[in-house]
Amino acid sequence: MIYLLYLLVYGFLATAALGLFLSWVDRKVTARVQYRVGPPLLQPLYDVVKLMGKENLIPAGASRLAFVSAPLIGFSSVVVVSALLWSNNLNPSQSFMGDWIVVIYLLTIPSISIIMGGFASKNPLASLGASREMKLLIAYELPFILAALVPVINSGGSLRLGEILTWQAEAGATATNLSGIIALLVMIPTIQAKLALVPFDIPEAETEIVEGPMVEYSGTGLALFKLMKNMLLFVIPFFATILFLDGITFQGIHILWGALKIVVLVALVTVIRNTNPRVRIDQALRFFWGPVTLLAVAAVVLAYLGL
Amino acid sequence: MTPAELLGNPDLFRFDELSKFVGLFTGLFFLLVVIYSIGYMRGRRKLGKYYLYTLLTLIASLGAIFANNMILFLSFWGFLGLLLYQLITFGRTERTGSTAKKAFVIIGGTDALMLLGIVILWRLSGESQTGALFSLRMDALSVDLGSRASVVAYVCLAAGALAKAGAMPFHTWVPDTAEDAPIPVTAYLPASLDKLLGIYFLARISLGLFEMTGAMNTVLMAVGSFTIVAAVMMALIQHDMKRLLGYHAVSQVGYMVLGIGTGNPIGIAGGIFHMLNHAIYKSCLFLSGGAVAKRAGTSDLSKLGGYARVMPVTFITFLVASLSISGVPPFNGFASKWLVYQGVIETGRSGGYIWILWLVAAMFGSILTLASFMKLIHAIFLGQSSERTAKSEGRGETGASMWIPTVILSILCVVFGVFAISIPLKHFVYPSVPGEVAPVGIWSSGVVTLLLIAGVILGFVIYLLGALLKSRTTGSFIGGETLEEHEDMRVSGVEFYDTVRDNGLLRGIYRAAERKLFDIYDLGAGFAGGLGRMLGLLHDGVLSRYVSWFLLGTLVLIWYLMR
Repeated sequence: MIYLLYLLVYGFLATAALGLFLSWVDRKVTARVQYRVGPPLLQPLYDVVKLMGKENLIPAGASRLAFVSAPLIGFSSVVVVSALLWSNNLNPSQSFMGDWIVVIYLLTIPSISIIMGGFASKNPLASLGASREMKLLIAYELPFILAALVPVINSGGSLRLGEILTWQAEAGATATNLSGIIALLVMIPTIQAKLALVPFDIPEAETEIVEGPMVEYSGTGLALFKLMKNMLLFVIPFFATILFLDGITFQGIHILWGALKIVVLVALVTVIRNTNPRVRIDQALRFFWGPVTLLAVAAVVLAYLGL
Repeated sequence: MTPAELLGNPDLFRFDELSKFVGLFTGLFFLLVVIYSIGYMRGRRKLGKYYLYTLLTLIASLGAIFANNMILFLSFWGFLGLLLYQLITFGRTERTGSTAKKAFVIIGGTDALMLLGIVILWRLSGESQTGALFSLRMDALSVDLGSRASVVAYVCLAAGALAKAGAMPFHTWVPDTAEDAPIPVTAYLPASLDKLLGIYFLARISLGLFEMTGAMNTVLMAVGSFTIVAAVMMALIQHDMKRLLGYHAVSQVGYMVLGIGTGNPIGIAGGIFHMLNHAIYKSCLFLSGGAVAKRAGTSDLSKLGGYARVMPVTFITFLVASLSISGVPPFNGFASKWLVYQGVIETGRSGGYIWILWLVAAMFGSILTLASFMKLIHAIFLGQSSERTAKSEGRGETGASMWIPTVILSILCVVFGVFAISIPLKHFVYPSVPGEVAPVGIWSSGVVTLLLIAGVILGFVIYLLGALLKSRTTGSFIGGETLEEHEDMRVSGVEFYDTVRDNGLLRGIYRAAERKLFDIYDLGAGFAGGLGRMLGLLHDGVLSRYVSWFLLGTLVLIWYLMR
């Protein structure tokens, strides 16, 4: 039962609220960069609620089963992975449900759901977009795994997130080491790509393939996908915070400090997305398998040397 | 002797936890493949022989699994190679004959190496009588890998195991067989039984017959990691369903070899569990894919598409097995990969950095596996329909005998994943691994599954709160064009990863691989052919040359004898 509580309160309610808030931060910062006023605080919520009231269009001849269930699977996996992160961060001494490997694998399910939904749309634009999402996933996953390994190596091979947090509480955050700083640097473009934000919004590319995998989604299906993406805007920086920045401590003033870490990460991502043009998929592939992976390897070598 | 006495004789047979569980699943796969064959092979010729060979394969496999006597084991093992050859010839493509020959040459060649390994073992055991060779017992051997001879013996025996399982560099017969043999044969031998046997024997020699050293374990782990990544990179660019699945049958062996190479109980448990899981999901993939190939009359990916509507049950079984092989939690492939990764990390505790390389290769290989299965699912089941799909529309699923085995296998994928620790690991895997298995990470598969279901329900509630019922079917939006009028707008999915192939260094490697520069069979054939041609040059039919060769030879002989 305690798990269901975690799921509902932290995994869903808290994460959704924070995700929608961060999405507002993102839009507000974007607006300020472009000399606009920007939306009110509750605008992201209004968007989702409005979409829920619209009718659902299902493309003729598509696989209904895959088309309708894809947003459900993706949403569910984000809720579970965020419940897992919350429970480990709130109770580092007791590790629940899964470890580092489990989180990395669960974090691929949202991408799989977007791909399946796009494939099921029976639309060439969606197929192209979804295939780009898959290529982007194989591109950034290599440096992502390497960077995420750094705290594991630093803490002497512990796989449990709780142990990684406890170790950071004693020895200082991972990002206070040289290897940790480099790994965090590597994390930032991979977060960008995981969230499909410019310059890596190649799968969606509105001006070119009209939102790619999302092109046929409308109404509640689109609302769920939007909600899922907003929640990921919190969950992925949260995971990076746990790995590199000592997590969030829920005591007095520390809460503000923890919130600041995540907001700064998101604001950084937002600034990058507003000052860069979109790259092509082959450029992204070369970028992630080339310089970013080299940097990540450097971080791993430094971590192995104990720096 | 009565049969009972014969089986109970420890000089000949041995029934321990490992062999019993491998034998049990061998029987299960035999049963499912026979049920499937009833539908798939209907109307073909020489079916009596087909079923006879299938049954003999079962008997020979059980013999090899339970044999304790080395020579008895090798006899069963060699017989299996012959049966594989016979079964492949039931295929109906042009290249069936040469593929069967290739498989037979690779398997038979490594069998010869195994005989050499057994003879060296006999010399090492200190017995000089020839009779002792025939009473060499597996459970009585424990050879230290210190001497050079023992290393040669281990490598010879491991080559046999790896060739059977299809690990690199002996893998090339697997994709060819997958393409040219009938689907039930592929699902039966390279996908399930040969994996069970090869990895079973690798586990036997690595855990019992020899005392592994760190260096030899590192070699195994290197072979495993390389196999994972290289084979899956080849799978990414294939355009035939069966061949693509064949490359995955190679790639997945890498995880098993990697797990056994870690040398610690947790990694070995992972390797053995992965062997079992692989046999389940890979045979499910071949059988489901075969059902579509039978319905469509082709396995060329560019001619398929949109079959999810025609064959929904097959779509679901294929999807479940694809997610399992890609290691998506909570399916069974994830559970065994999770154990293998921990085994690899465990090897890092004794120092060294090379484990990081193995771990990253294995985890990255898993994402590439996912990528190539997404391509398969798009090209076969989703995406836009092709002309063939239109013809198959309305004909529905293939007969019950073809989908029942796939449903059983996909249920096993789910059950062995969700209840990984309480059913398969507890009853089959842990008892057969020497030493205590103590995972360092956590994976509460049951809880996470429950939460995933709860999450889906939550999402469904959101669906209901919204206007799900207000749904309507419309045409797809492609910038105002009509899809059906433009056949060239069809995206089949075959070309998805051409961007990866044409990228930088990879292009050269892919070209070399497509020219078969890495195929041990073609390399060997080229070498033997070249040697034959050189010797052939000597036979030019000129008598005076023959006489001069004869004189030259006599002179050398005289010099050697008078020396």
